[in-house]
Amino acid sequence: MTATLSAPAEVRTTPRRGRSRTWIGWSFILPNFIGFAALTLIPVIASLALSFLDWDSYSTPRWVGLANFERMIHNDNFWTALRNTAYYAVGHVPLTLGAALGFAVLLNQKLKGVQFFRTALFFPYITSLVAVAVVWNMLLSPDLGPVNQFLRAIGIDNPPGWTTSTTWAMPAVIVASVWRDLGYYMVLYLAGLQTIPAELYEAAQVDGASPWQRFRHITLPGLRPTTFFVLIMLTISSFKVFDLIQVMTEGGPGRATLVLSQVIYREGIVQGRFGYSSAVSMVLFVIVLTITVVQFRLQKRSEA
Amino acid sequence: MRRHLVTTLAGAAALALLTACGGSAQPAADGPQTIKVSLWNYATTPEFKAIIDGFQAANPDIKVEPVDILADDYAEKVTTMLAGGDTTDVLTMKNVIDYSRFGTRGQLLPLTDEAAKLDPAKYSGLKAYELEGKYFALPYRQDFWVLYYNKTLLKQAGVPESKLQNLTWAGYADLAKSLTKGDGASKVYGAYQHTWRSIVQATSAAQTGGNLLGGDYGFMKDQYAMTLGLQQSGTLLPWATASSQKVSYNTMLSTGKAALLPMGTWYAATLLADTKSGKTKVEWGVAPLPQLKADGKVTTFGSPTAFAVNKNSKHSEAAKKFVEWASSEAGATAVAKAGVTPSLQSQQILDTYFALPGVPNGEVAKKAFKPDNVVLEMPVSDKSSDVDQILTEEHELIMTGQKSLDDGLAEMAKRVKNEVG
Amino acid sequence: MTVRRSLAYVLLVVLSVAVLVPFAWMVSSSLKLDAEVFTVPVQWIPAEFRWSNFTTIWERIPLLTYLRNSVFLSLTITALQVLTGSFAAYGFAKVRFPGRDVLFLAYIGTIAVPWQAYMVPQYVIMQKAGLVNTHLSLILLQAFSAFGVFLMRQYYLTIPDELSEAARLDGLSEYGIWARIILPLSKPALASLALLTFVNTWNDYMGPFIYLTDNKLWTIQLGLRSFVGLYDAEYAMIMTGSVLSVLPILVIFLLGQKYFVRGIATSGLK
Repeated sequence: MTATLSAPAEVRTTPRRGRSRTWIGWSFILPNFIGFAALTLIPVIASLALSFLDWDSYSTPRWVGLANFERMIHNDNFWTALRNTAYYAVGHVPLTLGAALGFAVLLNQKLKGVQFFRTALFFPYITSLVAVAVVWNMLLSPDLGPVNQFLRAIGIDNPPGWTTSTTWAMPAVIVASVWRDLGYYMVLYLAGLQTIPAELYEAAQVDGASPWQRFRHITLPGLRPTTFFVLIMLTISSFKVFDLIQVMTEGGPGRATLVLSQVIYREGIVQGRFGYSSAVSMVLFVIVLTITVVQFRLQKRSEA
Repeated sequence: MRRHLVTTLAGAAALALLTACGGSAQPAADGPQTIKVSLWNYATTPEFKAIIDGFQAANPDIKVEPVDILADDYAEKVTTMLAGGDTTDVLTMKNVIDYSRFGTRGQLLPLTDEAAKLDPAKYSGLKAYELEGKYFALPYRQDFWVLYYNKTLLKQAGVPESKLQNLTWAGYADLAKSLTKGDGASKVYGAYQHTWRSIVQATSAAQTGGNLLGGDYGFMKDQYAMTLGLQQSGTLLPWATASSQKVSYNTMLSTGKAALLPMGTWYAATLLADTKSGKTKVEWGVAPLPQLKADGKVTTFGSPTAFAVNKNSKHSEAAKKFVEWASSEAGATAVAKAGVTPSLQSQQILDTYFALPGVPNGEVAKKAFKPDNVVLEMPVSDKSSDVDQILTEEHELIMTGQKSLDDGLAEMAKRVKNEVG
Repeated sequence: MTVRRSLAYVLLVVLSVAVLVPFAWMVSSSLKLDAEVFTVPVQWIPAEFRWSNFTTIWERIPLLTYLRNSVFLSLTITALQVLTGSFAAYGFAKVRFPGRDVLFLAYIGTIAVPWQAYMVPQYVIMQKAGLVNTHLSLILLQAFSAFGVFLMRQYYLTIPDELSEAARLDGLSEYGIWARIILPLSKPALASLALLTFVNTWNDYMGPFIYLTDNKLWTIQLGLRSFVGLYDAEYAMIMTGSVLSVLPILVIFLLGQKYFVRGIATSGLK
C-alpha cells in the first residue's frame, strides 16, 4: 500500500533513520491532525458507528445490529436516491472535469482581458443559489423559456419540460451544476498548470509539435496529480450533492432528482432517525472510498 | 487486527460521548431569574415581543431573554441544540409535527395539569397537543385558511363583495374564470393557488372529513379536478411555473396579478404592515374559505403554534408561568394586538383584532375570522412526516401533469401503505 | 493563428455573458420591491430603481457587525487552513513513514461523509467542550479540514524531488526544506487553496447557523437568511445583501489571480 501512494524518487531510508523519519513525518502532520481528529474524524467515526444503533439524538442509543441496513435495502426511497445520485455523478463528473480543464488551459494563455474572463467564470460559484435556481428555471421554462423557444424554432415540436418533467429534470440539474462548479475546478487547474516548466513547451515548439501534441504529451501528464485531486473531489462532491438540488427542484418533480444526501438529511436531523440516516451515509462512504482507492490504483498504474 | 481495535475503541468513545448528554431539571431558585425562550426572527415577528413585554410587565421578578433562531431551519437547530443538552427554558413549537417529535422523545416537560385548566371549546387547536392523554405544550396562536381578494378587481368586474360570504368551490371556480383577463405580461389571473399541497389536500380533508393519514385518497379527487381544470383554462398560473420560478403569493395579490387568493391568516399581518408602509397599494379584503355546500357553515383548516418547556430547563417553574401566560386571556390580547390570530377565541379578543387600524372588518371579514370549525392541517402521528413527504411528491406529479389524477391518487395510497405501513 | 485567437475570444465573450446572467438577475432584484422580484415573465429592468435598498439594509440588520464577523472568521480559517494544511501535506508527500497512506485515506474518507450525517455528534463534542456559541468553535471546525491537506499534497507531488535532495545535501532540515524550498514554489496552489477556503467559509450558512446563536456573533450569510420568514421572504433585501457580500470575494479573487501566472513555480529549476 505504501508504495502505491508515494512519489517515485524519495529519500532512501535505513531502518534506524526510519524511526526518526516517522517522527519527522508525524511532526508535520500533527498540527493539522489534532484539530482534524478531534472535530472531524471522531464525529465521522461516531456517526458511522451509529448506523448499527437506534438513536433519536436524545435518548440512550440502542444496539440494533443490521436492522437499519435491512430497512434500507427494502426502502424504495433509498434505491431511488442511489440511482439518481449515480446518474448525477456520471453526468456531472466528466462534464465538469472537461470544461474546467478546457477553460483553464484556454485562460492560462496570454490573452487580453484574461483576468476578466477568469473572474467571470468564477462568478457562478459565488452567485446566490436562489438567483441561480430562478434564472436556470426561467431559461428552461417549458413554454416561455428561451431554450425551448429555440428548440421549437429549429423544428423540435415537442421540446422537453426540463425541471417540470421527471425525465428531464436530472439533465437540467446536471447542466446547471456543471455551469456552477466549472470556475471552482478551473481555479485548481490553473494552479496545477503553473507547475509545468515552460521549457518543455519551448522545446516541443522547436521540435515542431502541434498544439494538440503539446497538450497530449506535456500538459496532460504534467497535470496528473491535479487531475487526480479534481477527479476525487468531484466524485465526492457529486455523491454528496445537496444545496443546488435543494434549491432548484427540492428532489422533484416527485422523486426524479432525490439524492442520497437529501435522504440523509430528512431521515436524520429532520425525522430524528439518526441510526438509519447513518446507515445511508455509510453506504455513501463505502462507495466513495471504493472509487477513491480504485482511482489511486489506476493513477499508480499510469505512473509505472 | 489493529484496525479492528481502533474501530472498536473509537466506537466505544463515540457511544460514551453520545450517551453522556441530557441533564436533569433543577428546581427553580428564589429571587429574580432569567428564562430563555427559543423563537424565530425576533425582529420581524411582532407577537414574540408583545408576549415577552406583556409577561415581564405581569411578572417583574422574571426576565425573559429571546434566543433568536432563523425561521428557515428552526426545527433542525433546536434538535441539534437539545442533542447537546441545551438548557434553553421555553421552546416555541413551530408546528404540530415537530411538537409530536419532541414530545414523544421525552424532551419536553408535561403540562397536562396546566392544559386541563383551559377550556377546549375556546381554545382552537388545543386538542392537537394531546399525546396519549398528556400535554407538553400550550398553544398561543392559531392560523387558519381564508380567502383574500382584491377589492378593486372585484369592483371592476361588477361582483359585489357580499357574494364571497357564502361561496362554494364551484362558485369560486366560476368567479375566478370570469375575473381572468388580459394576456402576456399584463395578464390578471382570476385566482392564485400557491404550490403547497395543503391548499388542495388539507382543504378537501377538512371539508369532506377525509383522513390524510388514512391511505385512501379518493376524497381529494373533486378538489384536484377543480384545480387542474382552472389551471387548464388559464385561470390559475400553472403550478410548474409557480414552483420553478419561486413565485410568491404576496407578489400575486399585492401587485394585482391575481384577484382571489386562498391563504392562511398569517398573511393578513404582512398585508397590514405593507399597507401601512406603502409597499403595497392594493385594496384587499378577507372572506371565508369557499365551502363544498352553501349552508352558511364555515369549515377550514389551520395549525396552531405553541410554547413548551424544555426538560433540561433550570427554571422550569418560571418557564411554565411564561407558557401559561402566553395562552391566557392577557397573552391572547397581546397577540391579537400584534395583528396575529391567537389560539384563545372570544368576542372580546376578536374585537381587539378588528379594532386594529387597517384590518378589514365588514360582515364578510367578520365571518372569515370566526370559522365554525378549524380542522388540523395534518393529523399528528409518528407517521405524519413520512406521509407528508409522499403526499408532497405525488402532488407535484399530479400538478405538473406527469401523472394523471387517478394514477396519482392511487400511487399515494400505494406508497403510504408500502412505505409507511 | 489569429483566426483561432478571435474564435477563442468570441467563445469567451459569449460564455462570460451567459455565465453572468444570474448575477445580473441578482443585481436587478436588489433594486426592486420584494413583490417585484419573482414575476412571470421575468422583469430584467426594475420598474423603478430602488437604490434605497442599499441604505435600508444597513438599518434593517447590523450588517457591519455581520461583515466584521465574516471577515474575521474567513481570514482566520483561511490562514490556519493554508498553514497547517501545507505543513501536513509535506509530511504526506515528501516524508515516507509507516502508516502514512492509511492515515491519508482516513483524511479522504472523512470528506466522503456528508456533514448532515455527523453534525450532531460534532455538536455534542463542541457542547461538552463549552465552545458552542463562540467563533472559536467554527474556527476549530473548519480550519483543519482534509481538503487543504489533500490539495497541497497533490501539488507537492509535482515538485521534483531533486530540489529537496539538493537542499538536503546542503544541510537543510526537513522543516527548512518546507519553509525555504517548497513553500515559495507552491504559491499558485497556496493561492488557490486560500481563495477556495475563503469563498467557502464566507458563503457557509449551515455551520454558523448551528454553532452561533448570539446575534452579535452572526455572519453575513445568517444575516441574509434572517429575511426569510416563516411563510414568506423579503427577497429584494436578500439580493441586496447578496450583492454586497460578493464584493469582498471579488477583491480576494482579483488579488489571488496574480499568482496564476506561468513561470513562477518553475523559476527555481533554472
